[in-house]
Amino acid sequence: MSEEKIKHTEQDDHITDHDYDGIKELDNPPPRWIMLLFYITIGWAIIYGAYYFWLKEGDHQDAEYARKSEKHDQKYQIASLSADDLVAFTDEASLAEGKQIYTDMACMACHGLNGEGNAIGPNLTDKFWIHGCDIQSVFNVIKNGVPAKGMTAFKGQISDEKIQKVASYILSMKDSNPANAKDPQGVECNN
Amino acid sequence: MENQKFYYDNKIVKLFILATLVWGVVGILVGILAAAQLAFPVFNFGLEYTTFGRVRPLHTNAIIFAFVGNAIFAGVYYSMQKLLKTRMFSDTLSKIHFWGWQTIIVLAAVTLLAGITTSKEYAELEWPIDIMITIIWVIFGWNMIGTLIVRRVQHIYAAIWWYLATFLGVAILHVVNSFELPISLFKSYSIYAGAQDAVVQWWYGHNAVAFFLTTPFLGLMYYYLPKAANRPIYSYKLSIIHFWSLIFLYMWAGPHHLLYQALPEWAQALGVTFSIMLIAPSWGGMINGLLTLRGAWDKVRDSAALKFLVVGVTAYGMSTFEGPMMSLKTVNQITHFTDWTIAHVHIAGMGWNGGLVFGMLYWLVPKLFKSKLFSEKLANIHFWMSTLAILLYAIPLYWAAVTQWLMWQEYTPEGFLAYPNFLETLTQIVPMYMVRVVAGFLFLGGFLIMVFNLAKTMKAGSFINNEASEAPALVLAGKRNPVTETVHRWMERKAVRFSILTFVALAIGGAVEIIPMIFIKSNVPTLESVTPYTPLELEGRDIYVAEGCYVCHSQMVRPFRWETDRYGEYSKIGEFVYDYPFQWGSRRTGPDLARAGVIGGPMYKNAAWHYNHFMDPQKMNEESIMPNYAWLAVKNVDVTMTPKKIRAMQTLGVPYEEGYDQKAVADLMAQAQTISDDLKASGIELAPEKQMIALIAYLHKLGRDIMSENAAVTEEHGETAEQQQAHEITLLDTPEDLEAGKKLYQANCVVCHGPEGKGIPPAFPSLVDDEWIKGNKPADVYHSIAEGNVAKGMIPYKNMLSEKQITQLASYVLITLHEQNQEK
Repeated sequence: MSEEKIKHTEQDDHITDHDYDGIKELDNPPPRWIMLLFYITIGWAIIYGAYYFWLKEGDHQDAEYARKSEKHDQKYQIASLSADDLVAFTDEASLAEGKQIYTDMACMACHGLNGEGNAIGPNLTDKFWIHGCDIQSVFNVIKNGVPAKGMTAFKGQISDEKIQKVASYILSMKDSNPANAKDPQGVECNN
Repeated sequence: MENQKFYYDNKIVKLFILATLVWGVVGILVGILAAAQLAFPVFNFGLEYTTFGRVRPLHTNAIIFAFVGNAIFAGVYYSMQKLLKTRMFSDTLSKIHFWGWQTIIVLAAVTLLAGITTSKEYAELEWPIDIMITIIWVIFGWNMIGTLIVRRVQHIYAAIWWYLATFLGVAILHVVNSFELPISLFKSYSIYAGAQDAVVQWWYGHNAVAFFLTTPFLGLMYYYLPKAANRPIYSYKLSIIHFWSLIFLYMWAGPHHLLYQALPEWAQALGVTFSIMLIAPSWGGMINGLLTLRGAWDKVRDSAALKFLVVGVTAYGMSTFEGPMMSLKTVNQITHFTDWTIAHVHIAGMGWNGGLVFGMLYWLVPKLFKSKLFSEKLANIHFWMSTLAILLYAIPLYWAAVTQWLMWQEYTPEGFLAYPNFLETLTQIVPMYMVRVVAGFLFLGGFLIMVFNLAKTMKAGSFINNEASEAPALVLAGKRNPVTETVHRWMERKAVRFSILTFVALAIGGAVEIIPMIFIKSNVPTLESVTPYTPLELEGRDIYVAEGCYVCHSQMVRPFRWETDRYGEYSKIGEFVYDYPFQWGSRRTGPDLARAGVIGGPMYKNAAWHYNHFMDPQKMNEESIMPNYAWLAVKNVDVTMTPKKIRAMQTLGVPYEEGYDQKAVADLMAQAQTISDDLKASGIELAPEKQMIALIAYLHKLGRDIMSENAAVTEEHGETAEQQQAHEITLLDTPEDLEAGKKLYQANCVVCHGPEGKGIPPAFPSLVDDEWIKGNKPADVYHSIAEGNVAKGMIPYKNMLSEKQITQLASYVLITLHEQNQEK
C-alpha cells in the first residue's frame, strides 16, 4: 500500500478527537461477519438450552450412559457362564488353550511356571486349597480375585470361557509334583 | 491553557521489567525440570521437595504470577502514565506493590516445594500468602484508580478499560475462591466441599486465565501494538462491543472444566454455551489488533517486536477458538484428562502471553533507555526459536493426547478393554514427553538470547528515572450532550461509574452459578451411605494434598463405558460432601483413583502392594514414571494436629459426634494398627504412626461408600424386585435340602459367620439375631447370598453356586440355624 493511500484512509474514517499518547482510533464498523458469528453463537446457545432443558429432547449424562452402555452390551454380548454350565474341561485342546492363557495372563509370576507356587502365590498342584478345589471355586477365584491377598480379579480382562479353560488347566495339574513345590496351604481337599 | 510540568516514573517500570526477566528464566527452568520428570522419573531426585507433584504447581505459579504478572505490571505502569498524562498516583504504593509482589513470589516458591498447598490449581498458596496477595492487589488497584482520578486526559482509553477489568476481576475471583478455615499457619481447609468447591475453583481457574492472562494482555495490545506499528486502532466500536461482551460472558464459562463430571447438568450447560458465545468477543480483540496493522505489514517484516506481537495475537485467536471447541462435551471427552489441555495452554502461554511480553519488551526497553535495540538480528533469532519451540511443544502433545485417548477407549473384539493396564497407554506417549523437553530448552535458549540483547541495549543507552513531560490540567467536561456525545463516550470520562459498571458485569456470571450450588440442596443430592473420613483417613487425605497427588491422579470417573470398565462406577455428586477441598484433578498422568478403595474392583490394591509401590514404583512396573515416596515410611503423622482438624471439620459441617476430637487420636492409632498388622502379615514392618499408613487408609476409603450405596439404590430401583419376581423364593425345607444347605454353609460361610451363625460383630453380622441389614425374607437372604455385599467383604455367590444351592443355603440359614438358636 502506498503512503498516499494510507493517508487517504486515515483521513476518511478518523475519529478526530481520539488521541491517546499519539494513538488514534478509526470509526470503522466491526466487520459484518464477526457480528454475524456472534449472533449465530447466541442462537446456538439458546437452541442448546432448549434442546436439553425446555424441550427435554437431549439425554442428560446419566441417561446417555445407560443408553450407550446398553448398546455396548448388545455389541459385545460378553457371555456370562451360568453356574450350571460350569464344568471342568478335560479334552486336550481346551487344556492346551488353558495353558496358553496361563502364560499370557502371567499367572506364573505368582504361581510358578508349572503351578508350583512361589513367595507370592500358593502351590496349585497339591491337594491343599485355600478357597476350594472344585471348578466353581477355582473359576470364582480367578474371575473375582482375592484382592485382599493380592490375587487379581480377571473378570474385566478375559472372558468367562477363557477363565473356565484356565481353571480346567489348573485343576489338570493336580498331582503333577513339579520341582521346587511350595509347602501346602489351606485345607486338604479330596475331590 | 497553561501546561503543568510533571515527571513519569520510569524506575518502577524498569524494576518490573528486570523482575520479568529473572522470573521468566526461573519459571521456564522449573518447567523444563517438570517436563524432564515426566520423561525420565530419575529427575524427581528421590527427594520430597523435588517430586513432580510439587514442581508442577511451582512451574504454573512462577510462569503465571511471577513472569507474566511482573510483565503485566511493567506494561501497565508505563502505559497508564502515558495514556493519562500523569505520574502514578503514589510512589510509595508503587514500591510496596513491587516489593510485596516479589516477596509473595519467593514465599510461594518456598512453601510449594515444602508441600504447603491448598491443592486448588493456580490458587495453591496457603492462607497467609492469600491475605498478602489481597493486600498487594488492593494496593495495585488503589494506585490505578488514584492515577485515574489525577489524570490530565478527559477520556479513558480502551487499554485502561481492560486494566480496570483485570483489577476488579482478579480481586473478585481471588477473594471468593480463597475462603478457607485455617487450623495453623501452614494449613487450612477450603470452606467449600466437593462439587461446590469444584464449581468455585474452576470458576476461579478459568477466569484466572481470563483476567490474568487475557484481559491485561488485551490492554497491553491496545497500547503497544498501535505504538509499535504507528497505526490507528481499526475500530473504536469493535473495542466497545468486544470489551463488554467478553468480560460479561467469560465469568460464566468456568464449568466447562467439569464436563461429564459430578456436576448438575444446568451448570455444565452454562459452561458449554457461554464458552461458544465467547468465540466472537475473543476474536474481536484479535481482529482489531490485526486490522490495526492494515497497511503496515511491511513494518512487521523488519521488526522483531511487531513479529512477536502478530504471532501473539494470532496464537490468541487460535486458542480462543480451540477453547470453545474443547468446551463441547463430545470434544471434551478427548481433551479432558489428556495432554490436549496442556498443549492448548502452552499455545496460549508461550504464543499469546510470551509473544506479547517479548514484543512489548523489544519495543519498550530501547524506548526507556533512549537507544536502539542492540541487535535486531538476535531478536529475529529469538523469534524463530520461540515459534519453533511452540510447535515442537504442542504438536507432540496433541499427538500424545489423541493416542492415549484412543487407547483408553479401545475394546478387543470380545468386549474387553484392549489396554486394561493404564501404564501401557502412558508408556506409548513418553517419547512425546522427551520431545517436549527439547522444546523447553529451545524456548529457554531464545529467552536467554533476549535477556542478553536487552542487557546490551540497556548498557548502551541512558536511563532517566523521572522523565519530564507537560500537559494542561484536566477540566472536567460537564453534563452529557445527547446530540454530540454517545453514552459510552460519556462513560469513558466517568472513571468511577465505568468501574462500577465493569464490576456489575463481572459479578453476575459467578453469582448465578455459585450461589445456587451452595444454597440449593437439590444440586447436591445426599447419599446416605457416604460417611465422613476417619481421623486416619483425614490425615492421609492431607498427605495426598500436600504431595500434590491430584496433579497426576484424578478422582473422577466419568460416565463413559470405557471409564467404568477401567475404574468402576462413575462418580456421583453426593459422594464428595466431606471433601474439603475436592480432589478431582485435571490430568491423568496416572490412573484415576476414585475407586481405589473398592475391594474387588479393578483399582483395588492391598496395603502391601501400596507399600512396595510407594517405596519403589519402578520395581513394580519398570516403565512407571511415578516418583518414589520412600520418606512417607520415615515421617510420622503429626497427631497433635488431629483434634484440631476434627474440630475444623465440625465447624465446616462434617457430622462427627460432639467431643469426637478427644477420641480421634485413639481411633486413629487403632485403625493404623490394623494396617500395620496387615503389612506385618506380608512381612513388612511399618510402625502405625508413619505417614504411609495414613495415606493407604485414605486410598482404601476412596469409593468404598458409594459401592454400598449402589447396592441400596439397585434394590430400590427394581433390579431386586425383578429378581424376586423371577425367583419367588420358596424355602426348601426337606431334610435333604437342609442337609445340603448345611454342607454349603460349612464350606462357604463358617469362616465369617461362625458355625452357629453368630458372626463376629461388628465386621461380620450375626445371622440369628433379629437385626437384618438386608432383610430376612427368603428373597432378601437369597439376594444377599447371590449378589453379596462387596463393600463389606461379602462375596457374590451367584457364579459359584447354582440357584438351587443358594436356595438351600438360604433355607438352612432361615430354618435350621434359626431354630437352633431359638432352642438355646
